[in-house]
Amino acid sequence: MYRDKYFFLLPGLVVLIAIIIFPLLFTIRVSFSSWDVFQPGLDYIGGRNFARVFEDTRFWESLLRLSVLSVSSVLLQYVIGFALALAVWREIRFRRFFRVLFLVPMMTTPVVMSVIWRTIFHESLGPANDILQAIGLGTVPWLSTGTAAFISVLIVEVWQWTPFMFLLLLAGLVSLPREPYLAAAIDGAGPIRTFLQVTFPLMAPITIGAIIIRLIEASKIMETVYVMTSGGPGTATETSSYYIYIRGLRDFQIGYSAALSLTYLVIMIVSLTIIAKVLARMLLPREG
Amino acid sequence: MARIELVNVAHSYDGGKEYALKPLNMVWEDGRTYALLGPSGCGKTTMLNIISGLLKPSEGRLLFDGVDVTDSNTAGRNIAQVFQFPVIYSTMTVAQNLAFPLVCRGYPDHEIRRRVDNVAGLLGLSDKMQMPARRLTADLKQLVSMGRGLVREDVSAILLDEPLTVIDPQMKFELRRKLKQINREFGITMVFVTHDQNEAMTFAEEVVVMKDGEIMQRGSPQDLFERPDNTFVGYFIGSPPMNFLDARLEGGTLVCEGLGYHAPVQGVPAGARMQLGFRPEFVVLDGNGADIRTRARVEHVDNLGVEAVITLSLSDGQIVRAKQQGRFRAIAGENLGLGVRAENLQIYCNGQRLG
Repeated sequence: MYRDKYFFLLPGLVVLIAIIIFPLLFTIRVSFSSWDVFQPGLDYIGGRNFARVFEDTRFWESLLRLSVLSVSSVLLQYVIGFALALAVWREIRFRRFFRVLFLVPMMTTPVVMSVIWRTIFHESLGPANDILQAIGLGTVPWLSTGTAAFISVLIVEVWQWTPFMFLLLLAGLVSLPREPYLAAAIDGAGPIRTFLQVTFPLMAPITIGAIIIRLIEASKIMETVYVMTSGGPGTATETSSYYIYIRGLRDFQIGYSAALSLTYLVIMIVSLTIIAKVLARMLLPREG
Repeated sequence: MARIELVNVAHSYDGGKEYALKPLNMVWEDGRTYALLGPSGCGKTTMLNIISGLLKPSEGRLLFDGVDVTDSNTAGRNIAQVFQFPVIYSTMTVAQNLAFPLVCRGYPDHEIRRRVDNVAGLLGLSDKMQMPARRLTADLKQLVSMGRGLVREDVSAILLDEPLTVIDPQMKFELRRKLKQINREFGITMVFVTHDQNEAMTFAEEVVVMKDGEIMQRGSPQDLFERPDNTFVGYFIGSPPMNFLDARLEGGTLVCEGLGYHAPVQGVPAGARMQLGFRPEFVVLDGNGADIRTRARVEHVDNLGVEAVITLSLSDGQIVRAKQQGRFRAIAGENLGLGVRAENLQIYCNGQRLG
C-alpha cells in the first residue's frame, strides 16, 4: 500500500539523475573511449586512457603545483582572515564599514579582477612595479618568470578569498559564548593566553569547516590562471583543472580528458577526506 | 580576604534610562557566606560582575578593605568567580586547568604543585588529575571551575553565579557542603547567587533578596522566613508562599473578618492597603493554642509525601494555605478549625511590614 510513495520521490530522483548521476556515468563511459576531434564516438579502448594518465608527467606536475598553491593559499587566507576577524570582532570604530570593505574582493567577478590584477602586475605599465621602483626595490618580472608568476597567482587567490575566510571566522567568533572569556579574565590570562587557550580551541570546528570548504574551492582554481598567465610561462602556473581544460576543450581529446577528470576526482575525494580527518584529529577534542 | 564595600553603587546598561542596579550601599563582611536571591533579571549578576570587575559601575565606588578598586581590573582585585555553566580549558588536563590561574600569575612550579594537589584533595579530584578536563561530567567540570578559584589562596572573595544549576540534585547537596567546608577552612568570603530559595537558605549565613535592582531585605535565613520585611519577600521565600489576607481599617482597628481578627493599629495612613501575613507552616489546624481562631472550609489537599499542603477558604472567600507534617486526611468541603499565634502574624501596610 505504500508503493505510491516512490512516485513522490520521482521528481527529486529525476533531477538528481539528470544533473549528477548521468554526467558522472557518461564521463566514466567516455573515459574508456578514444573520442577525440578526429574520431568522435563511443568506441571502447579499455584502460589505455588511464595508462596514459599515469605516464603523463605534465598532469602529475600540475597536480603537485595545485596542491602547493591551494594549501599555501588557504593557510595564508586562514591566518590573514582570522587576524582580520579578530580585529573587527571587538568594538572598534567604523566596524561595520570595515566588515563591508573586507567583503568587496569576494563579490567581484573572478575574470574581471584577474584582468585588473594582470594590469597591476604588468611589468612596464602596471602600478606594482611603479611602486616597487619608487621605494627603490627595483622591478619584479611578475608574470614572465615561473616563480614570480606562481606567487602572483597566489597573491590574487589570497586577495580574493581571504574575505570568505574572514566572514566564516567572524561568524564563528560572534557566536562564541561569553563565559570562557570572563573566566579567563578572572584567572588572569593575558590576550595571548586567552587566544591560545580559549578562542582557538573554541573555534576549532569552524576552522576545520572553513579550511575544508576553501580547499575544495581552491583546488578548482581556473579563471585566475586562465586570465593572468594562461598556465605560463611554460607550465609554471598550470593547475590540474587548467590542464584538463587544455586537453579537453583546446585539443578536444574528450576521452583522455574524461580519464584525467576521473583520476583528479578520485584523488581529490581521497585527499580531502584524509585532510579533514587529520584536521579533526589535530584540532577537535575527542569525547569519551 | 577582604571586606567588600559598595558605596552608592548603581549600574545602568543603557546610559541611565533604566537601572539594572539602583543606587545602594552595602558591606560584605570578611569570611562570611552570603546568598543573593531574586527572580531572573533582578540585578544579581550585575552586582556580582561589578564586584568582580567584569563590569564597571556607572555610579559609585567599590572598596576592598577600604581601598578604592573601582577602576582596577579583574586581575587586580584578586576575585574568583564561578559561572552558571562550567568553564574549563578544553585542551588541558584537570591538573593544568587547576594550575592555570597560578601559571598566569607566574608562580614557581613547586608552589603551583603544592596548591593544586591541596585543592584537588579538597574537591576529591586527586584521581582525575591527568584526565583531559573535557571528558569530565558537568558536575566535575563545575568542581574544576571552582577549584581554579580556590587555588589562589589569597583571593578576596569567591563569587558564585548560580553554580549549581547544571548539577544533579544529590550532587548539589554534596557541593554545597564542600563550599561551606572551604569557607570554614580558609575563611574566604563567598557570595552565592541563586534563584533557588532552598539553596540560599541552606548555604548562607546571610541572605540578600533583590528585586528590580533593589535590595528588598537582608538578614539571616530565619529572619527572612519568619519576619519578611515586605510582601515580595513573603511571596518569594517559602513554598507555598506566605499567606496574605486583605484587612480593613475601621477607625483605629484593623479588621479581617475571615480570620476573625480585630486589633487596634497605630500610625497607619488613611486609605493604605492593609494585609495580614503568616506562613503556611505557622497555621494551626484545629486552632488549638492559637490566639486568633476561626473556621475554614477545606478546598483541597496536596499530600507531598513528608508534608501536606491544605488549601482552605475563609468565610469571606479569602484563601489560606496550611502546611502540615506527614499525611493529612480531610475531605473537600469539610469545615475545620484554623488558628494563628499572634507572634507569627505580621501586619503589612502598602506591602511593607509594620513594627
